[in-house]
Amino acid sequence: MKKLGKVLIEITLMIVCAAYLFPVYIVLANSFKNRQELYENMLALPEKLTLEYYLEAVEKMNFSRAFGNSLIVTIVSIGIIVILGSMTAWMLVRTENKLSKFLFMVLVATMLIPFQTLMMPLMQVMSWSKTTLQVPMLDSLGGLIYMNVGFGASMAVFLYHGFVKSIPVSLEEAATIDGGNKLTVFFRIVFPMLKPTTVTVMILDVIWIWNDYLLPSLVLSNKNLRTIPLSTASFFGQFTIQWNLAMAGLMLTIIPVIIFYLAAQKYIIKGVAAGAVK
Amino acid sequence: MRMKKMFRILLTSAFITALMLTGCGKTTDVDKTETSGTTSGTKETTQTSSEPAVTKIVIFQSKVEIVDQLKALAAEYQKEKGIEVEVWETTGDDYLQQLKIRLGNNQGPTLFSLAPGSESEDLKAYLADLSDLSFVSGIAENMADEKDGKVVGIPYTVEGFGVVYNKNLIDASKVTTADEFISMLKEQQGAGVNGFSLSQESYFLIGHILNTPFALQEDPKTFVEQLIVGEVTMQETEEFIEFAKVMEAVREYTNNPLEVTYDKETGDFATGKSASIHQGNWAYGMFADYDVDFEMAMMPLPISGNDSLAVSVPAGWYVNSQVSEAEIQAGKDFLEWLYTSETGKRYITEEFGFIPVVEGIESSELDPLSQAVNEFTAAGKTIPWPMNSYWPAGIVDVYLVPVAQEFFTTEMTGEEFLVKLTEAFVQAGQNQ
Amino acid sequence: MNRKSDRAWYALFVLPLIFVFTTVVIIPFLIGIGYSFVSWDGLPLNEKVFVGMNNYIRLFSDKRFLSSITHTLLFTVLAVVIINVLGLTFALIVTSQLKTRNIARTMLFMPYLIGGLILGFIWRFIFTDVFKAVGEATGWTKVFFSWLLNGDYALIALVIVMTWQMAGYIMIIYITGIQAIPDDVVEAAKVDGAGFWPMLLRVKFPLIMPSFTISLFMTLSNSFKIYDVNVSLTQGGPNNATEMLAMNIYNEIFSLNNYGYGQAKAIVFFIAVAFITLIQVSLTKKKEVVM
Repeated sequence: MKKLGKVLIEITLMIVCAAYLFPVYIVLANSFKNRQELYENMLALPEKLTLEYYLEAVEKMNFSRAFGNSLIVTIVSIGIIVILGSMTAWMLVRTENKLSKFLFMVLVATMLIPFQTLMMPLMQVMSWSKTTLQVPMLDSLGGLIYMNVGFGASMAVFLYHGFVKSIPVSLEEAATIDGGNKLTVFFRIVFPMLKPTTVTVMILDVIWIWNDYLLPSLVLSNKNLRTIPLSTASFFGQFTIQWNLAMAGLMLTIIPVIIFYLAAQKYIIKGVAAGAVK
Repeated sequence: MRMKKMFRILLTSAFITALMLTGCGKTTDVDKTETSGTTSGTKETTQTSSEPAVTKIVIFQSKVEIVDQLKALAAEYQKEKGIEVEVWETTGDDYLQQLKIRLGNNQGPTLFSLAPGSESEDLKAYLADLSDLSFVSGIAENMADEKDGKVVGIPYTVEGFGVVYNKNLIDASKVTTADEFISMLKEQQGAGVNGFSLSQESYFLIGHILNTPFALQEDPKTFVEQLIVGEVTMQETEEFIEFAKVMEAVREYTNNPLEVTYDKETGDFATGKSASIHQGNWAYGMFADYDVDFEMAMMPLPISGNDSLAVSVPAGWYVNSQVSEAEIQAGKDFLEWLYTSETGKRYITEEFGFIPVVEGIESSELDPLSQAVNEFTAAGKTIPWPMNSYWPAGIVDVYLVPVAQEFFTTEMTGEEFLVKLTEAFVQAGQNQ
Repeated sequence: MNRKSDRAWYALFVLPLIFVFTTVVIIPFLIGIGYSFVSWDGLPLNEKVFVGMNNYIRLFSDKRFLSSITHTLLFTVLAVVIINVLGLTFALIVTSQLKTRNIARTMLFMPYLIGGLILGFIWRFIFTDVFKAVGEATGWTKVFFSWLLNGDYALIALVIVMTWQMAGYIMIIYITGIQAIPDDVVEAAKVDGAGFWPMLLRVKFPLIMPSFTISLFMTLSNSFKIYDVNVSLTQGGPNNATEMLAMNIYNEIFSLNNYGYGQAKAIVFFIAVAFITLIQVSLTKKKEVVM
């Protein structure tokens, strides 16, 4: 009886998942169709599985270059966000004073600002830093990374803040007595314990940074610096959108994220399984 | 254990990078520019005149459809003139916003495109004087964008819109008045065909079709101004009353445009399910993948005796006035070359597929819709585009679309429709 | 440990991030506040006119802005509840012993990767063509019709698409929380004979309170800020019935060129939202168990 129930749940789950993926199926199916085929039936399987549009998309997107740029931007941004974010969050939790509270509140509150209202003054600041300080924030991957860190700071601190609290202070105190300074205590004791949160932050930030269009589109102009989402822009005319190329481009964009997710997920599950066996 | 060690190394290195990026950003980032290549050369906009010769110009433009050809053209230019042309890209939808942000922060391109009219009016301060280009006098009448007596915009091409129809299903000579148009809709419906179609996207829903009654006014500019201050209303103007009558019929006898996308609109037409659509010659590219087995042409939207297509310049080339003298000159040189050299002319007509508007450029083989635009233009049967020239900026998307959506989802009468459209103009106009 | 070195450590840990954050977020935000007092189209060479509080006063008679506040509130309430219920359910399911949990995890999070124009294209097709076809085939035309043509249903359509996008994302946060629950606590409760519901409500929920705080906050802020889905799915239509705040502000700034007024809207919006969400955060934070 119980077994039957379980099977039933599994089946229901799969049905839900399938329904969930229905729109993804539409993207995949239509990345193989020409305009007429797409018009006739968006839901049908493509008549032939030609890689034509994928190849065209790869070529027009200058895919390998864009992929490399996206990779650099994503990895470096996330590396910095994770490290600085966890350090900040830990310090803010462990140092209970007004400043900490204030900083935390400011960080959290700014998550509510719609990016669209910031972009004009942001570009002003960045172009000022380019012309006056000679720090080329615009049209450089470094600049984009810098801004990603700024925008990712809030969420990272917020996530870590919640979980730092669940770490017993006693461990840190013991390490401090053993003569470790704060940096070593943090990286030896605390940071490893934050691993589940780190993985979460990484996953959420990968999704965001890898797919981000608006910020990179403002920061990067040079075609050699384009990230993957930017490189699909030419498929989206004001009126005429080349859906097959656009959808092929989208599939090419998201496949690396899915691969990353599968890898990251294994990592979390391993941790859980190890705990379960004991 | 090894894992842990690696993790630590990774952390340390990332940490160092972080510090470098934040603390000593200056040095590292300066290094980076060298490897990643500098852009536009628009950086030093203030101290300009002493700058050395420009070796690179940047183009940023809205017509995504020609971007591949434009890149090829850029390569040709570099081969012939030794000046690098970089083409920036973005989606058609966010072009204008991106352009404004870049211009506003001195990160603007050398050359850019705008729709002549309220768009170029807003950016007037950023437009260089192009009057001394050799071919300016050869630009067809009223097609160059002039501000304060100076030519600032060079037209890409002309585009025209009207009723694109299927010659097998519609005889244009029998659809020359609003009543005939309406009875055509009824007939087609009786025969199981959708007589006419708009689509849900802003200009295709209301912008283009509402352009016609405006263009039919004696002085569209004054009319818009009076409309905004309440001296005239649409519901008391004959052309609009007839327009509303047609719209009521469209609502009654054809598919609801709010359920039709641009893709579906053109697809229905290409496959014979719709007898006509309200579109322009730009739509011809949409039929490339279809086996269209009929002849198509374009006719005027027949309200209040209108016998003309709405023909105007959708976009023009502009040179950024905020870059160095040398760069402005380089931008002008490029335009000079584009409109007078053999290579440039060939690209305009053959590769971009444009209808030329400058003397000395012969159009190559045109598609049937462009052909129609060309013929109407030659016969002098054209009406302008007040929608770009005189309507308040942003009105179509922000104010007119909601009214049209209300019209197509309720039983609102044509007159109520006109009242609301008038209100929209008053609101949009006074908010500027 | 003396205080001076404590301060130095504090600065070393906190300052780098706060510095970046300040230059990227805070300074632009403050500049934005400044612009909310002028009438300006956003182009530096064009005229700026100082208008004092006028932009703010004007807000309160802007009917369209006010009604977009109502839509946004309604949308947010619906979206926050549904996304969290679904996200938490998903998280509980995929952390159970089910065989299919791994595939399910990946599948559920994929929607977040599809955005922009393509998202709108697909979902408009579903809500228009697919729904109509289903309605005609089954005769349930009361439920299956073109949802985007009806203001109320279009709003629900937005909630559905937002949920579809965000539930898998929020699931990830809940998973982290659930996995942080010490096994011995669960085992002990099992030994005490706790059933499914008591286990969930009395043991698991209190322990994943931080996840609740975070998830609620993230869904709240994302729903309040909804823009992408709004533009690509309904464009605010029909007849402004689904015009959300972010879109209203965006249109003011970039379509109508009223940069100063748009900034004023953004500031008011920010203050209102910050007020609501900070209350939420401090309420749920209090419930967190500190170990």
